[in-house]
Amino acid sequence: MEDRRIQERPPDAPPVDRKVAVALSGITKRFGDFVAVDDLNLDIYEGEFFSLLGPSGCGKTTTLRMIAGFEEPGEGEISVAGQPVQGVPPYRRPVNTVFQSYAIFPHLNVFDNVAFGLRRAGVKGEELRQRVTRACKMVQLQGFEKRKPRMLSGGQQQRVALARALVNRPKVLLLDEPLGALDLKLRKEMQLELKNLQHEVGITFIYVTHDQEEALTMSDRIAVMNEGVVQQVADPATLYERPRNRFVANFIGQTNLFSGTVESVNGEKVTLVVPDGAKVEAVAQDGAEPEPGSEVHVAVRPEKVRFGAAGDNVCTAEVRQIVYLGVSTQYITWLPDGRKLALYQQNIQDAGGYDVGDEVTVSWDARNCLVLGG
Amino acid sequence: MGEKGKGWSLGLAALLGPAAFWLGVFFLLPLLLILAYSFGTSGIYGGLTLGFNPSNYLKVFDPLYLEITVRTLVIAFINTLLCLALGYPLAYFIALRGGRWKTALLILVMVPFWTSLLIRAYAWVVILGGNGIANRTLQFLGITDGPISLIFTPQAVLMGMVYSYLPFMILPLYATLERFDTSLKEAAHDLGAGRWHAFWRVTFPLSMPGVIAGSILVFIPSAGEFVIPNLLGGSQTVLLGNLIQQQFLNARDWAFGSALAVMLAVLLLGAIMFYVRRIGTEKLGGV
Repeated sequence: MEDRRIQERPPDAPPVDRKVAVALSGITKRFGDFVAVDDLNLDIYEGEFFSLLGPSGCGKTTTLRMIAGFEEPGEGEISVAGQPVQGVPPYRRPVNTVFQSYAIFPHLNVFDNVAFGLRRAGVKGEELRQRVTRACKMVQLQGFEKRKPRMLSGGQQQRVALARALVNRPKVLLLDEPLGALDLKLRKEMQLELKNLQHEVGITFIYVTHDQEEALTMSDRIAVMNEGVVQQVADPATLYERPRNRFVANFIGQTNLFSGTVESVNGEKVTLVVPDGAKVEAVAQDGAEPEPGSEVHVAVRPEKVRFGAAGDNVCTAEVRQIVYLGVSTQYITWLPDGRKLALYQQNIQDAGGYDVGDEVTVSWDARNCLVLGG
Repeated sequence: MGEKGKGWSLGLAALLGPAAFWLGVFFLLPLLLILAYSFGTSGIYGGLTLGFNPSNYLKVFDPLYLEITVRTLVIAFINTLLCLALGYPLAYFIALRGGRWKTALLILVMVPFWTSLLIRAYAWVVILGGNGIANRTLQFLGITDGPISLIFTPQAVLMGMVYSYLPFMILPLYATLERFDTSLKEAAHDLGAGRWHAFWRVTFPLSMPGVIAGSILVFIPSAGEFVIPNLLGGSQTVLLGNLIQQQFLNARDWAFGSALAVMLAVLLLGAIMFYVRRIGTEKLGGV
């Protein structure tokens, strides 16, 4: 997962002293009895690629629409570039949106679609022509200016939507699942392209997606949302390595979850007893101190589990299912008490193969086994 | 389209046959008869001899009849504009804001069709007549002292026509606006367009198919209308429809009546072709 992440911003740049592009404080939005967004607090920084990630109905699109001005929050305040935007209509906000359905004007050609916002802003003549041409070039649509949208493919329409928004040089670009309608290959290409584009123009991107891989690939930071509540805000590596709760651990990548009772706590190290009586060594979250005797959940990623007895936690298991994934092979094993444990093995040349039904010894280190909150 | 769609088959002929027969016998044949009559010569007592007599068409350009033609086109045009101005907001509201009331509101629009046009036109006579509801209300409110002539004016004809033809404008407009993707409106707002610009640059152009269909559906029958001007217009507002009716029923000059009918058809065809060419194709092209 990490190898697909594009590193080009030095990770040591602390986001703390960067300027806030969009601030959401105490935002609550209700539709009738349904609470779409519940007391949301977020600071999104200038030049950041920020993703709102979550399953459908988690409130991510509603949040985006409130920033764009299509919905007004019931409670709380939104500021864009330091200015509160309450009551400011969408057409006066310094943001532009790339819609999920693209929302390209079907009666206008590519040039007029891209020029729409500039014309409203009073840009005319040669400057208009140049800026539109440059925007079309930026998304590789030069030569398509005279085409009508219905003569374009899905990927090209997507680019028109992007150019139409970016040409206005907004403070913040809002993207609502913009790649959702594209096929997988094109989607992967566009992910890289979008990321490069964002780096080029330096505009803050707020990206809504339900695709965790997409979010991990492109984002500087991600807010994982569920049922209108932000579960965790972090950079992709932290989100993956140190998920704060069960929801995040399950939603981001694959994970093995155990529940057990805390037996002892020694600094960061936690020992717990799982229902079949075995002991599991784990580590607590930063700053969290589980109470001895309390019920907790721990998570360990499948790729952190290995065959053999070299680890803090060792147990025997039976191989039940083998899935060949190319780069790696996934083994689903059953522990003696019937719990499932998944593990990945890299398909390097001398890796030993196992068969279904084999009795194996598996192990993992305590530092890769995280006690989850919530 | 593949080869499959091109061939003629017995099934296709069976499906199209009845309609072709119907249109051929009851539409095309009478039309050809009218065309033949229009070049004929009417006898003094109503008979008609076929032949080639262009004088019926020359008579059409008599200033008296030209005035009626122009008046007909102007009234039909104003009627179309009024129907568009009144019908568009209503269709827009039902289509985009109607919510769960959509169907109920649409049925309300169609309610007038449940009664015959003749009865509805007579209702207007009752309303606008010298001692009608309109006049009594005006006097009651102290706006007028005595009865004023509301009926037998061009305005009365227009009122009746707008009332009769409004549904024909609303229904096609509704059908187009109902399919309108509101995210396009949001996109326009997002790109800096206020309500006014978003409407005129995005919503309205994209509703052109409905505007065109509605306008044609209103303009054509109102140019040929004779019941409403007959009842509400009196002798002041004779339209082409009345003139044709008179030629056939009262004057018994079938040849001239036919020439007028042919001319009306040609005029309407020309007007529609001009309209669709000018506004239609370019706007329709993008949809």
